[in-house]
Amino acid sequence: MTNGYWRFDFRESPASAGGSISGAVDAADRGLGHHRHPHTSGPLSQIAWSMVRPCGIALSFVAMALVATLLLQRFFPYPFLFLFFPAVMASAWFGGMCAGLFAVFVSTVLVDYFFVPPFNSFAINATDSTYFAAFVVCTFVASWVSSSKKQSEEILREARDQLEIRVAERTAELERSNAELRRSVREHEIAEQTLRKTQADLAHLSKVMTMGELTCSIAHEVSQPLTAVVTYGHACLEWLSAAPPAVAEARKAAERVIQDGTRAGVVLNRIRALFKKEAPTRDCLDMNEVIRELGVLLRDEAARAGVSLRLELAKDLPRVKGDRVQLQQVVLNLAVNGMDAMRGTADRPRELLIRTAAGGSAEILIQVKDSGAGLRAEIAPEIFKPFFTTKPQGIGMGLSISRSIVESHRGRLWVTPLSANGSLFQFTVPTGSRDHDG
Amino acid sequence: MDDADSIVYVVDDDASVRDSMSSLLRSVGLRAEVFGSTEEFLGATRPEIPSCLVLDVRLPGMTGLDLQGELEKAGIGIPIVFVTGHGDIPMVSRAMKAGAVEFLTKPFQKQELLAAIHQALDRDRARREQEAKLSALRSRFERLTSRQREVLHFVVAGLTNKQIAEKLGLSEITIKVHRGHVMQKMRADSLAGLVRMAGKLGVHSHR
Repeated sequence: MTNGYWRFDFRESPASAGGSISGAVDAADRGLGHHRHPHTSGPLSQIAWSMVRPCGIALSFVAMALVATLLLQRFFPYPFLFLFFPAVMASAWFGGMCAGLFAVFVSTVLVDYFFVPPFNSFAINATDSTYFAAFVVCTFVASWVSSSKKQSEEILREARDQLEIRVAERTAELERSNAELRRSVREHEIAEQTLRKTQADLAHLSKVMTMGELTCSIAHEVSQPLTAVVTYGHACLEWLSAAPPAVAEARKAAERVIQDGTRAGVVLNRIRALFKKEAPTRDCLDMNEVIRELGVLLRDEAARAGVSLRLELAKDLPRVKGDRVQLQQVVLNLAVNGMDAMRGTADRPRELLIRTAAGGSAEILIQVKDSGAGLRAEIAPEIFKPFFTTKPQGIGMGLSISRSIVESHRGRLWVTPLSANGSLFQFTVPTGSRDHDG
Repeated sequence: MDDADSIVYVVDDDASVRDSMSSLLRSVGLRAEVFGSTEEFLGATRPEIPSCLVLDVRLPGMTGLDLQGELEKAGIGIPIVFVTGHGDIPMVSRAMKAGAVEFLTKPFQKQELLAAIHQALDRDRARREQEAKLSALRSRFERLTSRQREVLHFVVAGLTNKQIAEKLGLSEITIKVHRGHVMQKMRADSLAGLVRMAGKLGVHSHR
């Protein structure tokens, strides 16, 4: 790039005449449409060229002015010397200060020779010396104005180009860091997605394990209506085969078959919903209803564990926004934990209490209290950590997942060891008035 | 089989299950009474007729197995047919050891249930007959005079009239009369029958 060459020079010595000259030479190259000199030769010839060039330019301009003035001479009563000013200015403009001064010198000599009497001689009449001196001063001024104007323009252009380059560099830099940022955001998103998936898998595993502990209760829940169905079926046949057939009783039995078959289906659906693995939703939920649905399962499990289960569900509980299955998982986890904690309890009644209450500010409170072994205060903060377990068959994810579920609902889950015996787990869920999509 | 004068008690916390059993039992001509809990069952007055209990193992409050123990302690020998959603071996073994008639897994077939119920009723009927006979015998024994009881003891011990007369310092004729009264009051048709009755009553022989 041509610009690069003279710009570099200029930067090295901004006020040096050489820089200006070589810049002006290049500019002259472009401005006059000359064939550009190849910069393949050595530094010496470069210096020589930078001397010859301004002189050549000055000579050509001054020669053009001389020819024009000689041609115009016959139309004017006195020599038309004004054309030398543009020649000097053009030389200074395209060739730099040296070219300007050289043009001044050549013009002075030529004007003296051709147009100052005595003509065709270098001598000057005394009468014309003032006029000649004025001409010389004027050409000097013209040269100086032109070259300094050119120089300041060069400086301006240089500054502008410099700025453009700086802007381009800065833009590129910004784009690079932007791309970097975008990539790291994408990486973060992928990591987060993986994390979420792992969390969901673990949550599901823990749910399945909790449900595994409830298998007996689930089997019982399903076998009850099925027993009724089979028994009513037999009864119906018996009523019909009596003599005479007891149609009314048979009909009643058949109706109950339908009713209990339907009930079995409902129980199955409810259990399947608990097992289902799907993206969390945000429904408007009545927490009491959510707990009551678990009641059948829990009551049965409690009976098996010899625990008396008490539900104290507050009336007029505000609805909450949340995922039914996830919240059920939390209650189920806490309840099963509570029952496990009471396994070794023999000296006092085993009681599990599940309470709901409208909490302080726009939230509801769910408490699960047991009368079991309780927690030592120092391990209380530990129990919510992943893989913390006191059960031989546990994976220690139940409470950790419960907490993350509660927190994804913008609630809190914590434990209070009771002074007497047992522990109190409680969690809050904000009421539906606040919108959230954790 | 005279099912009409027998009664089947059903204790199950699930209303559908107990109502369905009631319907089935009634359809085969059995009298059924259903209860939702063991406490309810214990609180009811039960007529003294052959009966049995169909009992769910898993019940809220007192479980079926607990109830079995309670009845045993209270000397109520009602035969029990257990039903459960899922029985593990220790549970079944405990129930059977404590004298349960049968242990059925839900959902059960009619034949299984009815067979178990009839077996239980038969057992109860036999038990009741046994008890009735014994109490009749006891009341007959109660009506003997003390002298007659003395004579009975010696008779059962295999002493002759003469030996008894000697032991009691009475005449042989008097002993013969006492012995005749004993046979008559105890409604024994032979000496062997009298000895059997004495055995059932736990009368100890005097030497």
